[in-house]
Amino acid sequence: MADTLHIEIATPEKLVVDQQADYAEIPGKDGYMGILPGHAALLSELAHGKLTLTTGGKTESFTVTGGYVEVRDNHVRVLADGVE
Amino acid sequence: MPSLIDIRRRVRSVKNTQQITKAMKMVSAAKLRRAQDQAIAARPYGILLRQMLANVAQGAANDPDAGAHPLLAVRPEQRILLVVITADSGLAGAFNSNLIKLAHRFADEHRNATLTFELIGKKGVNYFRRRFSGIAGTHTDLFRRVKFEDAERIANRIIARFEAGEVDSVYLFTNEFKNAMAPALTSTRILPIEVPKTAATVDYIYEQNPGELLGSLLPRYVKLLVYRAFLESVAAEHAARMVAMDAATKNAGDVIDKLTLLMNRVRQASITREIIEIVSGASALK
Repeated sequence: MADTLHIEIATPEKLVVDQQADYAEIPGKDGYMGILPGHAALLSELAHGKLTLTTGGKTESFTVTGGYVEVRDNHVRVLADGVE
Repeated sequence: MPSLIDIRRRVRSVKNTQQITKAMKMVSAAKLRRAQDQAIAARPYGILLRQMLANVAQGAANDPDAGAHPLLAVRPEQRILLVVITADSGLAGAFNSNLIKLAHRFADEHRNATLTFELIGKKGVNYFRRRFSGIAGTHTDLFRRVKFEDAERIANRIIARFEAGEVDSVYLFTNEFKNAMAPALTSTRILPIEVPKTAATVDYIYEQNPGELLGSLLPRYVKLLVYRAFLESVAAEHAARMVAMDAATKNAGDVIDKLTLLMNRVRQASITREIIEIVSGASALK
């Protein structure tokens, strides 16, 4: 099991984030989800909300305005409608 | 024989034209680079969405609760919507005319169906408005800066008409950017959607049920197709214009060379004539 998550956040216009993170908190349509390395494959729609990435104690957050997320093999791929 | 002054004037005018074509080529090259960058930036989203759609479609197929989605409904093609993406301006070689020809031929082949048009770009609008009725919508001035919202708006119109059963299928005509030399003409059916296939299916945990997820992914996929077509068309347009203007600059150079040669000949002829006059005048005095 790899010990970090590979995060990709893409909007239709460009790839916004492409980095490693230890933990991701994602605004799913049915509530916030915390994703740690080793998470099972998951697909969900996103709600408008705050997406937080934690890397080595530092956190970064983005506001996403809906979209989708796919978690698979420690890859978190976020297809956001918009990112602020 | 034309006079020296006339030729000189023509050379000057051709030189001016050459300067314009050269400048246009330069501008197109810069715009092409920007359009390409934008197209490349949009690629990851497209790839991810396609993969996700393929997986979800598979998941939805295994889900007994998921009904058939209206955007997948295949009906006999009695009413066809043609979406034609041309450029807003000309001077790009055969860029617009080839695409218009392709769409027109398609329209001729489907005479029996009721055709409606959704036109994007001034050139296509001007052409089809004169020749066909059933223009559902026209959109111009979108290409200076391609925005996803514009593609989304047009895609929404198309989706609404398809879902309402006003049209049975939607074809998209566009120039795709293959390489800098020649655009690739394409016509694709975007509705009903042909779901991309996937080799490896992943057993996901579905937070929402796959049918529901599919229902919201499909319209997004159509929007993406339209947006991608925009980006491709813009890149191809600038590439075509660059090539056309490069050829024009070269042709102007050839014309200038020819005129310069003629000019020198005319000048030489007049000098020779003057010498002959002087010599014969001198010999007459002897």
